[in-house]
Amino acid sequence: MGKVNTVLGPIPTEDLGITAMHEHIGFGLPGCDLDTQWWKKPEEAFEVTLQKLRRFREHGGKTFVDCTGIGNGRDIEYFQVLSRRTGVNIVAVTGFVAADSALPYFRKQSVEYLTDLFVREVTVGIDGTDAKAGAIKVGVSRGGKLNELDKRIYRAAARASLITGAPIITHLCVDAQTSIDIFNEEGLPLNRVLFGHADDGGYLDENRDKLIAELGGWVGFDTIGYDSEVEGAPYWSRPRQDRVEHFLRFIEKGYLDRAVISADANCCALGWPGLKGHSVNYLFEEFLPDLMKAGVGEEVFEQLLVHTPAKILTMQEPVKPKSLSLKQLQV
Amino acid sequence: MQDNVQEKGSSVVRTVLGPVPAQDLGVVLIHETLLSVFPGAEYAPEINMDKSEIFELLKRQLTEFRRLGGKTIVDASGMFHGRDVELYRTLSRTTGVHIIASTGLGPEPMLSGYFTTPQKNPPSPWSAEQFSGLFTKEVIEGIVIPRVERSSSAGLVTSIATRSGITKVETGLFRGSAQTALATGVPVSIQYGADATGDLEILLGEGVAENRIIIGGLDRIDAVRRKEAFAVAKRGAYVAIDHVGWSSSEGFVNDGERAKLVAELFADGLGERVLISSNAIGVAKGHETKELGYDYLLTKFVPMIQDAGVTREQIRLLLEENPARVLTIDASADQKVTGWNFDWDKLYQPVIY
Ligand SMILES: [Zn+2]
Repeated sequence: MGKVNTVLGPIPTEDLGITAMHEHIGFGLPGCDLDTQWWKKPEEAFEVTLQKLRRFREHGGKTFVDCTGIGNGRDIEYFQVLSRRTGVNIVAVTGFVAADSALPYFRKQSVEYLTDLFVREVTVGIDGTDAKAGAIKVGVSRGGKLNELDKRIYRAAARASLITGAPIITHLCVDAQTSIDIFNEEGLPLNRVLFGHADDGGYLDENRDKLIAELGGWVGFDTIGYDSEVEGAPYWSRPRQDRVEHFLRFIEKGYLDRAVISADANCCALGWPGLKGHSVNYLFEEFLPDLMKAGVGEEVFEQLLVHTPAKILTMQEPVKPKSLSLKQLQV
Repeated sequence: MQDNVQEKGSSVVRTVLGPVPAQDLGVVLIHETLLSVFPGAEYAPEINMDKSEIFELLKRQLTEFRRLGGKTIVDASGMFHGRDVELYRTLSRTTGVHIIASTGLGPEPMLSGYFTTPQKNPPSPWSAEQFSGLFTKEVIEGIVIPRVERSSSAGLVTSIATRSGITKVETGLFRGSAQTALATGVPVSIQYGADATGDLEILLGEGVAENRIIIGGLDRIDAVRRKEAFAVAKRGAYVAIDHVGWSSSEGFVNDGERAKLVAELFADGLGERVLISSNAIGVAKGHETKELGYDYLLTKFVPMIQDAGVTREQIRLLLEENPARVLTIDASADQKVTGWNFDWDKLYQPVIY
């Protein structure tokens, strides 16, 4: 039996259905709440979020993975209400978007502390609730290289992934070799890692995409819709057609079964303007039609949106991390 | 219901319950912390944030402070280290102690990603002008209760530099804080990095008057050795001997030397620029703290400075007149205080001990 943690409790893998693997109800860098320029009326934020999630349901969407890490606007009780009101399964993550968005209290912590924190959020609950995380978020800080704290977080995430069976989702896959080395050292198979944002306009590297796929990792085309043609497009955007062609080249090389698609959209952004009009629904309304125009068949969509997410999200049998002695585990 | 736009020329300070006449402040501790939360600790499962418990601990300490003759306390930890203005308002009503809350940020390691690595390319840290914009609003429009509302106004702006030397980002923080002081009339209070007079010059460079500046941490061993307190006071800024009860293991002179320093400043005719406080934390979450209450300064240190030759009148200057003078809002500053009602707060009877 496969299971996946959602904010309303574990569900069977079979119930995931069409799944968007890297999305946000709302993301903001920690501290943005102090700046009133980003405050929105809660009733308006709720309404726009409901509309986007309902539309997602109308497209057949069933599961929404919120990749917002600790302190970045992750709001479990809010996710619970949204899930109840829309019927969309929401999977929350533990972990951090990247070291530079971890708050000072967590920056000073050891690998052991961070491991325990992630394990606790996957097995006990988040923020005093009994809602458990379904994946572990890690990422690369600004600058394109894993810094010391990024590495500590990746290592802790690898251990927590082994201990709990939950997968890892990364923000960016630049400097991939460094992260792969950490996962290898900890004994974590790369098929437990979604290497995200391979389509980020600033960090393109198709040899890297191939390397990850060859090693059994998942390659995320998961900033879909950040098209540089759109007014106000953020710095990680790229031309729409370039992304489509990048993706087509990847599946033509035979890596369809290693590919993930998602939009990384905010239902209602917290500490930045967001991209006007962008939502998870871009996948259905723009990207899949682009693929269809290029001759991609519907069975590919099922693979991308149903079977691959199910493989990634299904909790695995717990394994003892290489790094831990039996004694440590008993404590 | 009264309009809270203040009359020009009225001498007031901004407390969490609204403007209070400066002469009502009484004995002031000018650099303390009520609730101190290491940023992010509130998300950690091992940290207990039981508000009833936090309130009870703070209430007891403030009640004791009041019993000893204290009347006003300044929470100088800025906007991102656990400040809970609603809790402070209730505490003030309950204990009768005036509470002045601060805006401001720092040192750099205590900043969060929103300020240090913004979502733009390149991710340049915030500028002095951006910081100033954020802080000024907390004085003019009110302190933020994150993503909910603005409350009463901040009564001062604070920042801290890294002890090994002020960083580039902290220079921006200091400059932004000085700009806020200049724009709003509240004082700016900083803990210097490695060079107190140098850091003072950074603030003065923004055009803020010397007598609107408090330089804190001047009882650090290095500052005392270099006689920084004398240089700062001679320049016309306020000198905060604000680690009463701290000693050499923490990098400060001990109380005996501290008392001597205070007496020497008076002997040099600089007494009007001296402030004393203890940098005590009422409740700490997510970090270690020194065992030190708000009572220590009044019960232990005041007798020591008396023994060192400081007169009763001089003690009144240190604890009442100097703090009131520096906390008083410059009447010529732009005043646009709106949003709360002081009359309503007067309905509450303070606890009489
Ligand atoms: Zn994301």
